Amino acid sequence: MRSIYLVPLVLAAAVAGTAVAGKGSKQVRYHGIHPVPKSEGGGLCYIEGPHVHIFAANKLEYRDHRGANYFVGDPVAYGYDGPKHTYKGHHPIHVHAVIGDRDEDIEYCYLDGPHYHSFAPPSGPDFEVRGGVNFYVGTPAPVYLEARPALVKVNAVYTPLTYERPVVTVEPPSAWIGVRAGFAPAAVVVEGRPAAVVVPGRVRAGVDVVVPAPSLEVNIGVGAGVFIDGHHHHGKHKKWRKRGRGRGRW
Amino acid sequence: MRALPLLLVALVACGDSAAGGSREAIIARWKEKGLTPSAMTAAKVDVGKDCQSGTVDKLDVLLCVYPTDAEAKAAEDAGLAWVGDTTGMAQAKGSVLIVVADRKKSDPSGRTINQMMK
Repeated sequence: MRSIYLVPLVLAAAVAGTAVAGKGSKQVRYHGIHPVPKSEGGGLCYIEGPHVHIFAANKLEYRDHRGANYFVGDPVAYGYDGPKHTYKGHHPIHVHAVIGDRDEDIEYCYLDGPHYHSFAPPSGPDFEVRGGVNFYVGTPAPVYLEARPALVKVNAVYTPLTYERPVVTVEPPSAWIGVRAGFAPAAVVVEGRPAAVVVPGRVRAGVDVVVPAPSLEVNIGVGAGVFIDGHHHHGKHKKWRKRGRGRGRW
Repeated sequence: MRALPLLLVALVACGDSAAGGSREAIIARWKEKGLTPSAMTAAKVDVGKDCQSGTVDKLDVLLCVYPTDAEAKAAEDAGLAWVGDTTGMAQAKGSVLIVVADRKKSDPSGRTINQMMK
């Protein structure tokens, strides 16, 4: 009985709350840890839950998660000192799993080469771990390729940053998205590259140069427009099901 | 039959205790984490009817108690309005809405706010 009477109150409170919150026009919503712009003091914000700041997020390092900005970049580049996991190349991020939401939200990380995230990948066959490095070997949703030309530009953000990047000394799996036909960016491989040695020093802007002398491997990301079919793609997809590998959710 | 009124009284008493206790429990948890909450005083704000404000370390804090969890959740946006143009957070924990605002910019890394909300 009590709840029946409270329903209008709750609805009124919700409406009033939204209206009042609208006054805080400078507030920008974030969810999870993220870098703080240098103009605001720099470093990292360690608030894991939904919160607000009065500075904006950039389009390359953040994805929209239910109206909040979710950071998909490498936090170590900004001084993050918490638990971290090593990845190489592009991969999906199960945002809902990382922050504990019920609604599925899968975004894509377009960082070339070795990098860190504060979260581990979801368990299952889509990621293969070699030498402590997570390689994405699954099949991405179509939006991954659609948004890649625009979002791979995130690497330009990391090129000038100086920080201790992960060193990967294992050969990637053959199914790794970075070398698989249909997904790998244009690549130039000079003969003579010794096997099983990959020592990238930096995450580069669309250009990952691996030089274990005397060899040379160059992976070149392709950049293009941001708008596709009049829609701004953010490397996000929801409720997409992979076909052909006998699994539902990934 | 005689037990029924007693049971109802007991339930009401528990409800009141839980509502007040929740706020006290939150403050007690902050102390356990090494934070230093100030005395909380009644606050007349648009966020709710039963609110108390104070500080935790140098952060401004508002704790509002609602009859239900849903009402506390629904008041989160109103809590963010109280935060204003600064870093902050408004999160319902059961029937208590916790609102934190870093108006003095004392927590640039957000670690204290994060600790308070965990």
